[in-house]
Amino acid sequence: MISFILNDKLIHTDKPAGMALLDFIRNEANLKGTKSGCREGDCGACTVIEGQLKNGKLIYGIIVSCLTPLGNIHGKHIVTIEGINMETPSPVQTALVEHNGTQCGFCTPGFVMSLTAFLLSDEHGFEKAREAIDGNICRCTGYKSIERAALEISEMKSGLQAGDKLNRLEQNGFIPVYFLSIPDRLKKIQSNREESHEGKLIIGGGTDLLVQQPDEVFEGKAKFLRRNRTNNGITFRSDFCSIGGEATVADIMQSEVLQQYFPKLPYYFKLISSTPVRNMATLAGNLVNASPIADLSIFFLALNADVHLTGENHNKRTVPLRKFFIGYKKLNKTDNEIVEKIFFQLPDENTYFNFEKVSKRQYLDIASVNSAISLKIKNNVIVDAHVSAGGVSPIPLYLKTASAFLINKEINVENIIKANTIAQKEISPISDIRGSADYKRLLLRQLTFTHFIEFIPDKISITKLLQTIKI
Amino acid sequence: MKKVKLPYGIPDYNLTEIVREIPNAEPPALPVNSKLKVIGKRVKRTDALAKVTGTAVFTADVYLPGMLYGKMFRADIPHARIKSIDVSAAKAHPGVFAIHIFKEMIEGANPKENNKKSGYPEVKYAGQPIVGVAAISMDIAEEAVNLIRVEYEPLEFVVDMDDARKPEAPLVYQTNVNQETSSGGEDIEEGLKSRGNVRGPATKSFYGGPRGNLKKGFAEADVIIERTYRTQVQTHCPLETHGVVVDYNRGNVTIYASTQSTKGTRNDFAKTFDLPKSKVRVISEFIGGGFGAKHTLGNFGVMAGHLSKQSGRPVKLMLDRKEEHVSAGNRPNSLQLMKVGAKKDGTLTALKLLSYGTAGVGLGSGVGNIAQAMYECPNFKMDQYDVFTNAGPGAAFRAPGNVQGAFALEQLIDELAERLDVDPLQLREKIDKSTIRKVQRERGTQLMNWKKPKKAGSDPGPVKKGIGVAQAHWPRFVNLDSTVEVRVMQDGAVEVRSAVQDIGTGTKTVLAQVVAEELGLKSADITVLIGDTLFPIGPPSGGSVVTGSITPPARNAAHKVKTKLIDLAAGELDTKAENIVVENSWFISKSDRSKKISFKNLAGKLRVEQITETASRSDDYGGFMIGTVGYEELGAVQFAEVSVDTETGFVKVDRIMAVHSCGRPINISQIESQINGGVIMGIAYALYEDRVMDKNTGHQMNPNLDQYKMPFSFEVPEIQIELIEEYGARSSTDATGIGEPANIATAAAVANAVYNAIGVRMTEIPITPARILAALGKI
Ligand SMILES: Cc1cc2nc3c(=O)[nH]c(=O)nc-3n(C[C@H](O)[C@H](O)[C@H](O)COP(=O)(O)OP(=O)(O)OC[C@H]3O[C@@H](n4cnc5c(N)ncnc54)[C@H](O)[C@@H]3O)c2cc1C
Ligand code: FES
Ligand code: FES
Repeated sequence: MISFILNDKLIHTDKPAGMALLDFIRNEANLKGTKSGCREGDCGACTVIEGQLKNGKLIYGIIVSCLTPLGNIHGKHIVTIEGINMETPSPVQTALVEHNGTQCGFCTPGFVMSLTAFLLSDEHGFEKAREAIDGNICRCTGYKSIERAALEISEMKSGLQAGDKLNRLEQNGFIPVYFLSIPDRLKKIQSNREESHEGKLIIGGGTDLLVQQPDEVFEGKAKFLRRNRTNNGITFRSDFCSIGGEATVADIMQSEVLQQYFPKLPYYFKLISSTPVRNMATLAGNLVNASPIADLSIFFLALNADVHLTGENHNKRTVPLRKFFIGYKKLNKTDNEIVEKIFFQLPDENTYFNFEKVSKRQYLDIASVNSAISLKIKNNVIVDAHVSAGGVSPIPLYLKTASAFLINKEINVENIIKANTIAQKEISPISDIRGSADYKRLLLRQLTFTHFIEFIPDKISITKLLQTIKI
Repeated sequence: MKKVKLPYGIPDYNLTEIVREIPNAEPPALPVNSKLKVIGKRVKRTDALAKVTGTAVFTADVYLPGMLYGKMFRADIPHARIKSIDVSAAKAHPGVFAIHIFKEMIEGANPKENNKKSGYPEVKYAGQPIVGVAAISMDIAEEAVNLIRVEYEPLEFVVDMDDARKPEAPLVYQTNVNQETSSGGEDIEEGLKSRGNVRGPATKSFYGGPRGNLKKGFAEADVIIERTYRTQVQTHCPLETHGVVVDYNRGNVTIYASTQSTKGTRNDFAKTFDLPKSKVRVISEFIGGGFGAKHTLGNFGVMAGHLSKQSGRPVKLMLDRKEEHVSAGNRPNSLQLMKVGAKKDGTLTALKLLSYGTAGVGLGSGVGNIAQAMYECPNFKMDQYDVFTNAGPGAAFRAPGNVQGAFALEQLIDELAERLDVDPLQLREKIDKSTIRKVQRERGTQLMNWKKPKKAGSDPGPVKKGIGVAQAHWPRFVNLDSTVEVRVMQDGAVEVRSAVQDIGTGTKTVLAQVVAEELGLKSADITVLIGDTLFPIGPPSGGSVVTGSITPPARNAAHKVKTKLIDLAAGELDTKAENIVVENSWFISKSDRSKKISFKNLAGKLRVEQITETASRSDDYGGFMIGTVGYEELGAVQFAEVSVDTETGFVKVDRIMAVHSCGRPINISQIESQINGGVIMGIAYALYEDRVMDKNTGHQMNPNLDQYKMPFSFEVPEIQIELIEEYGARSSTDATGIGEPANIATAAAVANAVYNAIGVRMTEIPITPARILAALGKI
């Protein structure tokens, strides 16, 4: 039995835990305002708001309901467009009407939910309101009118007086009054803990599984790891960091402590999927899915992270991430082992870290090639180096030889070019829909150079680098 | 007939009046927009609230009692004869109510090439539907489809256009195929011959055939440029996929359809099932976009009809995203060989186009209209060939043919300007006789602060900026089969009825505006009921015909109702009808303005519950222009600014300035939204979207929204819109559509700007980073 609150109704359902939330909403609850446009997380037509208690606080964010298994929403509040309809339209709805933000209207409920979630979030300002709709496709309007609505909404939000957020929003007609009762009602479900840990299939956010094998998820018994999670699973001990396998991309991106160590973290992670998918996609899922271009895998390879696994009978073992991937979609891990967490050393003031990604569309796209690097430098000499690259081999690749080469080298144009030459020998890109093998080779070269240009621009002259190379 | 003075020309430029002789039944001249209250304003969409609250019911949302769910078994190989089909297990599957096997291919060019032995049509593309199942749930329908066994005799196939043109290529069709020569369906050149998979050449369009003598033209030229251009296949990707719910109830059929033509869907169904049109009703209240692909009943609609007829239950059949990509239509690709000859002063002496294009198993792929009609050139010839491939059929797609054609023509003209060392706008000044584009160029020049572009590729540094411009041309099509009924009821309610549908373009709202203006009311006072063939038939939403076709009869019908109300008011106010004016919902005596009666009170005096008037689109005032190359068609000029990173190959569009006209603008915000949408679609066409076929398997490699790239909001540049009001005294509203022109020039403008940035012509789209790097010799 799965229990959650759908809009203002408490639901107990014995529908399969692998059923997509979208199907439950449209077919079981008969709420047709949530649309289906792709069923693969790419269009945002099915966007709903998910509310959950984290450390006692009710946190709202958007998710795509087409990739959310019911098993993941136990104990949560799910809000569809019907759940924010009031006697008079909400300011989000009014802004979209006033700015002519709809044409055919099929995408509109998704945009309304994304913008409403922006109101419920702690974010402020037009840029954040724009980011809130980064997972919504509109084929008709060209987005301009929707952006104008977003601008107005962000201004309205900034104009609200201080105070308890839900209360404030309710008093100003942004959300219906029943929202105020949700925290208490959710607590009651929370205490009613359910069997979420049975079954063979391990499901994190479901953003890979529900695309790749929806039938297996639907039919099989599964462990739902995103159910009943109450904190973001990110902890720090001296200069080490541990991130739980179920931490989402959004959790990592929003971690204030991590942002201190990686000031460009929000920028890097903005290049990964979209707001709703980042709210769902987990770290463990990204590693275990073992896609050769998985962004988090590439990111943490360059931090030389360790993976902590827990198998049957609570058997625990640790594998360096660079030894975790052993072949195309093959892992140093048994089916039963769960990725408990990863563990890595945080960069110090002598460490330079950078992550780069090139895809066909600038934002929200799977990479053609991505790469990360971390270098510890003393007196212009590299004392430790880890470089990774995705999309250039069957696995997320730790560039072993190139990393080793860089150690004890001075940073200069010649060494950078040599590092690239070595890296080019380590990779084996294939031509596919994301680009030809030659193109990917070229991209890796550019990314390698960019890494150095990014953090040591005064030492490396771009023109000189580019003049000297020939591949 | 009566003589009427109508506004003519462009305000702040050459606005005057012109006298037209028009039928007596036509309403008086409508003054220019600045003198109107509702028309030409930013009126909110009448159905916006339904959309923002999610209460708008799309076909995908329709549920009828007892409804079954349909799913089709589709061929998973691209070319085959069907030896046998075994549906016994599917039939026996609990919950299955009906199974239908197609006896012929519905889509594409549709020659009846059936396998003589089995009686089944040949499979001609991967994804072609073969069998349909209706069951009590979608899951059961899918399970049943998985139980169907089809035995094939695989045939050799070809999915690549260049391969298909080769003499040794496997044949997609064994027989000659008769079909449109353009993907818009306007042109049909009968009896074109096929050689192998190549059909044509089509040399004519509704603009006529070749002009002058090419040889002579090129002999007179001082400069000759010859170039080859390529464009890709683009799929429509409306957010709501194609689909229907068919309720075949003892010969009385109700169809809920996500369609751009209620009429077309009804007529297709009546014909297919041999029913009188009066027995078939099509309802399309909300449609989640179409962009040209949703004009017909479609194979899925035929299938749903059979399944519903068989089961006696309503059947819903919606395509999923993959089916939408592979089988529901696309914009044909093109290979265009263009040759232009010009005098030193820019005068064009000859223009030649040789084009190939593939729309898969069906539909023409002509691209020549724009080359034929945009510029003055005495010697012109086009040879357009369609190439059949084993891929899903094409469908009209926002400015069919012209988007591909403009990409080639407008780069060629840009190159010619460079060769002649003149500003590309200056060259167009010389060769373009359109007044409207002349004004658009002037406005654009001011707003862009446009100067002759700098030397191509001359920016220092790895990120280079560029500017470009391109023009659009689109005929002012009208569809005379456009009828509107206007009703006024005793309580003062006003209702507008037509079968015309609103696919998001805002048809409901413009109808409300036009009727409100005529009756002296506000648009919110008008209830618009459309998208139902029980109402008078309206035009299909395609070709930018709707506003120009449906608003005149709406005004005319409203005018007839108003005339009746004025007669009534004259009696009530004891004066003559000529002495009555209608203002802000009051009927007022001109001679004594204290004598007046409100609209509502006047309606209360009606002898019957409601009065109703109907009008159909009358002929254009002053005669039609369509059918000749004229320079008063719809025009647009778009400017693009781009940055190209020559190290990563990334093209970023920084700004688009879109200067447009569409006759008398009815609703400014809706027009702007259309232009924004068209521009973005054009940018996506220039940079991202591309249907990729796998030559080895014959399948589409990206039938999703993950690898088929549409832009999100972050890809959208600054878009500025300049709308130029323009009066042509053509009808009682003098309005025209905007959907297609918005989409025509963008890709060409972007390509020209990219050239200006990097100094290398990108003659093939999409302009991907890899193509930029290849063009720069980096890979
Ligand atoms: C629209 C869209 C855009 C995307 N964009 C990107 C992108 O830009 N970059 C990118 O890298 N990825 C992207 N992805 C892929 C995906 O989001 C990521 O790979 C994500 O991190 C997967 O996490 P998940 O929790 O959703 O995985 P799930 O689908 O839940 O699981 C994936 C795999 O991991 C296993 N698994 C999950 N948790 C554990 C665990 N704790 N222990 C052991 N095994 C486990 C599952 O059994 C399954 O095999 C995108 C996906 C979508 C749908
Ligand atoms: S349906 Fe497209 S994201 Fe869910
Ligand atoms: S309004 Fe049609 S998809 Fe957005």
